[in-house]
Amino acid sequence: MRRSYCLFILLFLNLACLVSGAQESPYFVTYDHHLEEPGNLEIATASTTGAPRSDQKWFFAPYLELEYGVTARWTSEVYLEGQTTSGDSAIFTGFRFENRFRPLKREHWINPVLYFEYEHVNEGSRIVKEVVGNAPDFSESNSELSKSWNNELEGKLILSSNVHNWNIAENFIVEKNVSQDEGVEFGYSFGVSRPLARMASATQCHLCRENFIAGMELYGGLGSTNGFGFHDTAHYVAPTISWQLGDSSSLFFSPAIGLTHQSSAALLRFGYSYEVRGFGTKVAQMFGGKH
Amino acid sequence: MRRASISTLFVAVLLGFASAQNVTYQQDPNWKAPAAAAARANPLADKPEAVGGGKKLFERNCVECHGADGTGLIKKHAADLHLPTVQQQTDGVLFWKVTNGNPDRGMPSFSRLPDLQRWQLILYLRTLGESAPVDSQARSR
Repeated sequence: MRRSYCLFILLFLNLACLVSGAQESPYFVTYDHHLEEPGNLEIATASTTGAPRSDQKWFFAPYLELEYGVTARWTSEVYLEGQTTSGDSAIFTGFRFENRFRPLKREHWINPVLYFEYEHVNEGSRIVKEVVGNAPDFSESNSELSKSWNNELEGKLILSSNVHNWNIAENFIVEKNVSQDEGVEFGYSFGVSRPLARMASATQCHLCRENFIAGMELYGGLGSTNGFGFHDTAHYVAPTISWQLGDSSSLFFSPAIGLTHQSSAALLRFGYSYEVRGFGTKVAQMFGGKH
Repeated sequence: MRRASISTLFVAVLLGFASAQNVTYQQDPNWKAPAAAAARANPLADKPEAVGGGKKLFERNCVECHGADGTGLIKKHAADLHLPTVQQQTDGVLFWKVTNGNPDRGMPSFSRLPDLQRWQLILYLRTLGESAPVDSQARSR
């Protein structure tokens, strides 16, 4: 027994010695063409806090994200999410499994990425990882919302460019709820971002400009096949910033402002990510593989 | 029991350092920079003070595959950056390779880094060529 503990601790220390991280995109909703490095595992936790309009309630929706670089052109992610609403209960709202593929090997002016996601979420989901279709109705209680579970398939066309140290990304979203007859829903997201410094200093520093990337996101719904357009849809504009705390971890913050009456008045988003380098190799070694 | 723990410790440490120098590295013949990219000069070539930042970026982004000393890890099929086959490439070629990566061989793209940071990395790679380890020097002969 002691031997097992010893082995576990040593393997954990081995993993801990290998943690490191690349500079992270500051986006919460928009995806760019930079995938997770192969064999690395990113563990992230984030939350979306919704500030209400007069007929809405405050909500807090945290989620856990596990992102793994399967290959240099394929990244997989799993999300677990929950939600609590003021004066109401806290509920688990489901999980998401997504995959992103880069069809082209090299960097181009525009770099496409194909995105496929399966969601098993209930009507109480509030993490706002994307906005599609028409604005949801949040007037029901969590106990009612959590009874209705949906299986949804989502696809995105991600286009992303790096131009003079600016990243410009456009996401076009299509979602189909296969549990209900809502038609096919559409959404969009745009993002621009830029590191605050182009060169790295020789010393380790926390507050120097090179550790920050600032940007702006714009995202919203575009209705569905039952009614395409901006009518009764939610839209947000969101400045966003990421701060690389060290070699292994980053913080993210984005206050989003609702642009239509169907949007929340504001969304406050916080995130923290931690990257474990060589995770795949370590796991393969534990099970005797050569990876 | 104590001997078993020591054995376990030894095996675990070996696992951690099982990433030996890559003496078997063979360059991918299909990983070629376009002529225009190969001809680009490093804009930081006359700023040797920028190499310190390059070292920091190397430690942050490259050591997991290329090792802390740049000799490359066999299990990652990563290049020994001291080798002449790497050092004889132009700055422009190395910049293009860092920017684009080689996904089929597991080398990710580092285009997310600002261009000057990628040039800082190239500055640092050149210092590895100047301080080739004994094994690399032997192999280059």
